[in-house]
Amino acid sequence: MYRFCHDPFLGDNCSNLIVFIMFHKTLSFWLCFSLYSIAFSQNSFLIKGSVINANTLQPIEGANIISKGLFAISSVTGEFTIKNVTEGTYTFTISHIGYNPKTLMIEVDPKMENLHISLSESTTTLKEIEVHGKTKKREAKELPITTVQVSKEFMDANRENSLMQTLKKIPGVSTINIGSGQSKPVIRGLGFNRVSVVQNGVKHEAQQWGNDHGLEIDQYGIENIHIIKGPASLLYGSDAIAGVVDIQSPKTPSVNSFNGEVNVLAESNNDLLGVSTGIESRKEKWFYRGRLTYRDYGDYKVPTDKIRYESYIFDLHRNHLRNTAGNEANAAFSIGYVGESFKSETFFSNVYAKNGFFANAHGLEVRTSTIDYDSGNRDIDLPFHKVNHFKIVNNTSFYKGEHTIQLDLGYQNNHREEHSEPVPHGYMPKPDNSKERVFDKNTFSLNAKDAFKFNEKHNLVFGINTEFQNNNIGGWGFLIPKYNRFTVGFFAYDHIEASEKVHLQGGLRYDFGVINTKAYYDWYPSTVNNSDGSTSNVYLQRAQNKTLNFNNISGSLGVSYIGDKTTYKLNIGKSFRMPLANELASDGVNYHMYRYERGNLNLNPEESYQLDIDVGYSTKNFSFGISPFVNFFENFIYLNPTPNYYETLQIYEYTQSKVFRVGGELRFGYALTENLRIDASAEYVYSRQRNGPKKNFTLPFSPPLSGLVSANYQLKKDLLWFKNIRLMADYRLTAKQEEIVPPEEKTESFQVLNLSFLSNLNLFNSEKQTDLRFKLNNVFDTKYFNHTSFYRLIDVPEAGRNISLSLTIPF
Amino acid sequence: MTAKFNFLITIVFSGLFLWSCSSDDSDIKDETKPEITINYNEGFPQSCTELVRGETYHFRAMVTDDMELASYSLDIHNNFDHHTHDDQGAQCELDPIKQAVNPMIYMENFSIENGLTSYEIDITVTIPNDVDAGDYHCAYSVTDKTGWQSRTSIDIKIIE
Repeated sequence: MYRFCHDPFLGDNCSNLIVFIMFHKTLSFWLCFSLYSIAFSQNSFLIKGSVINANTLQPIEGANIISKGLFAISSVTGEFTIKNVTEGTYTFTISHIGYNPKTLMIEVDPKMENLHISLSESTTTLKEIEVHGKTKKREAKELPITTVQVSKEFMDANRENSLMQTLKKIPGVSTINIGSGQSKPVIRGLGFNRVSVVQNGVKHEAQQWGNDHGLEIDQYGIENIHIIKGPASLLYGSDAIAGVVDIQSPKTPSVNSFNGEVNVLAESNNDLLGVSTGIESRKEKWFYRGRLTYRDYGDYKVPTDKIRYESYIFDLHRNHLRNTAGNEANAAFSIGYVGESFKSETFFSNVYAKNGFFANAHGLEVRTSTIDYDSGNRDIDLPFHKVNHFKIVNNTSFYKGEHTIQLDLGYQNNHREEHSEPVPHGYMPKPDNSKERVFDKNTFSLNAKDAFKFNEKHNLVFGINTEFQNNNIGGWGFLIPKYNRFTVGFFAYDHIEASEKVHLQGGLRYDFGVINTKAYYDWYPSTVNNSDGSTSNVYLQRAQNKTLNFNNISGSLGVSYIGDKTTYKLNIGKSFRMPLANELASDGVNYHMYRYERGNLNLNPEESYQLDIDVGYSTKNFSFGISPFVNFFENFIYLNPTPNYYETLQIYEYTQSKVFRVGGELRFGYALTENLRIDASAEYVYSRQRNGPKKNFTLPFSPPLSGLVSANYQLKKDLLWFKNIRLMADYRLTAKQEEIVPPEEKTESFQVLNLSFLSNLNLFNSEKQTDLRFKLNNVFDTKYFNHTSFYRLIDVPEAGRNISLSLTIPF
Repeated sequence: MTAKFNFLITIVFSGLFLWSCSSDDSDIKDETKPEITINYNEGFPQSCTELVRGETYHFRAMVTDDMELASYSLDIHNNFDHHTHDDQGAQCELDPIKQAVNPMIYMENFSIENGLTSYEIDITVTIPNDVDAGDYHCAYSVTDKTGWQSRTSIDIKIIE
């Protein structure tokens, strides 16, 4: 008997493996692995082995061990056998729900050894698995709505400058970018308040309606995101019209564990340096996690030295987009307890960001300044904004008999300040400070639901969502009024397992909301012409004291069919959105956009009906999916540019119109060889306003037809210190966008190539390997315009070539 | 299963095809902005024009649109802080930065009678005697019936 380990870096876990054998071979990148040899006869062999959890070293039951024509499932003790195997080299895939699958090359010959395989847990093991015993993937299949699960692995492999930029690789998901560090979610062409962002069960509430700021969420430390494409008001209430980005609570750490990681990121385009470190630990019942993130970046570079906006020309200093530097500092901590029949975790987080805005134009307004912007590329001068988002969320679940009660409580404060050089505008004299706009919003949320499995077939869920918002304003510019808002929604739905293959889900929801806007008067007098020909100086009223009530019934009904290879889904849903305070009550000048925005107190809640179909087909090497939708808005709220003027500014009015939309996504994946996989996807949305002043026009910020072709090559061999090497190429093809609405510009088509190199390294600890990622974005430094970028309106192209290097070091 | 799958795909695609055909792409949409210019003999003011306090001037600009013009506006405001520059390409000599005391503010909106695709703006403005002299901007804007807008801005000076 030999004690022996194939990998010189491996530690104690490895030496526990008792090996009988003569020789070994390095087959796994992750874990200790060794071979036994039991030859049966000359040509027919027996493969024996066992599968264990890499962390706990406990056996894993029910793991699939698959190779061409060979198949086994591990037993309670984690063991498996495969009989009558002929001599040769086989590629085995060992997979289990909740673990990262592993692919091994095994030589079956007379020297054949026993296999010891350890699998590391993937982040798809979530708390729900403990409750229902189903994977997220299976649950997603059973759900009739079109959903995409995003794992930590996806996030790590595709990480970009902001959370939403990381997610835009998903067909149907795009972003509205504001510079290099910020972006807003867009699902199938709709964004702002038509996409709900939920984190740890509580809706993220900031100034989502605003044009020029992103999502205040730390993209590190996120383990799992559930993206719903389609109407989801039934579960998520107001705003979940186009879809939901549901950032789920991280899974509970395993008993007696301590894990940590440090992520370091450097980028060439905007000279970014970022570091994020997180830890999590659990004794028996108590657990905690913590994370700190800091990022600092300079002005980003665009592949041009001149920006031509209307008849203005801005010369750029060394291709730097003047004053777009920024920084971000985030801290998060949570503490939790797992009891016999309940689990609770409280999250505290604070996200702070400061970003400069392009200095040559603020909004659409061309500006000159005495500030020496070009003296350095890391300074953040005026105009800039800073935003701080503080959040406390508690998630508590009780398990009692067939009931699972879930309580989510949240408090969040969003404080945003926009600073710019004070300039007189219209009747407004020059203000004496730079604080143009201040928004301070407090949101209290309480969600409760009971999932009641009253028999094998029915899983009934009913619950209540309540939310109170208190929005305060400051600064010398006025856009939205101060307001209070209270909403409450009641919902009930049933998930019916008609058979193992057929699942139905349907439910109804009632929402009531009251919004109370506060009066606002200009701080300076304006000259007003009276009817008798005289003029007077008046402090104009911009918003009124108003209390408005809204209510709405929404719901959805769908069916899913899970075949051997094909999954079908059909869902019809009605979702809604309560009008926002600015849509109702604003009456102010937005000088930087050269417009006067006029609210409308008669707006009704936006109502949207949508039919979704999703068909997914997959075999071992091939997958194909299509998810079309048809959508009709009874009364889409739209900021319509009118032909009229107010104090020489074009009047934009909030109006409602019927809107028809159709579109969808196609996805395709094919494993050409064991190592090479090709994926392709396409997304398209067609929108038409069916009545109102912009009849036959599209909606603002309509994303053009776009496709993504990715090749993923997994190297068989390790290279020097690099293990598990993967090469990825993403080729994005986007058609021109000719569907525009005033004041947009048409946008030309473009193609962009991104390349990545991913690998594991035995840097400090062979058990927990370092992930390395080297990424080259916009390989050819292509100058292109993104139709849905904030800076598109002033003809600023997208970022040029960028080299990024990221290391994730677990400890 | 494959047959069913193919059937469904066919249904879905023909559905999409029909939707896209039934939609009325043929409806004429106005996608063109109106145009505005002062680059003709009578266009006023030209870049760097000096206006004398107490004098009366005709502000003239040509506006055109492919379909139908709607409204225009004229805005005269100070540039004592050099906050921006004009889009005429000319570099005018600017006075030193100074604080406004009683700057001239002129903001008026006008509508254009229905059905015109070409129109000459002609606004009579008298420069008040008591306003601050110095650098000013004169900004014209015009909209068409659809809501497209064009603007132009000219650096001028008011002198005593």
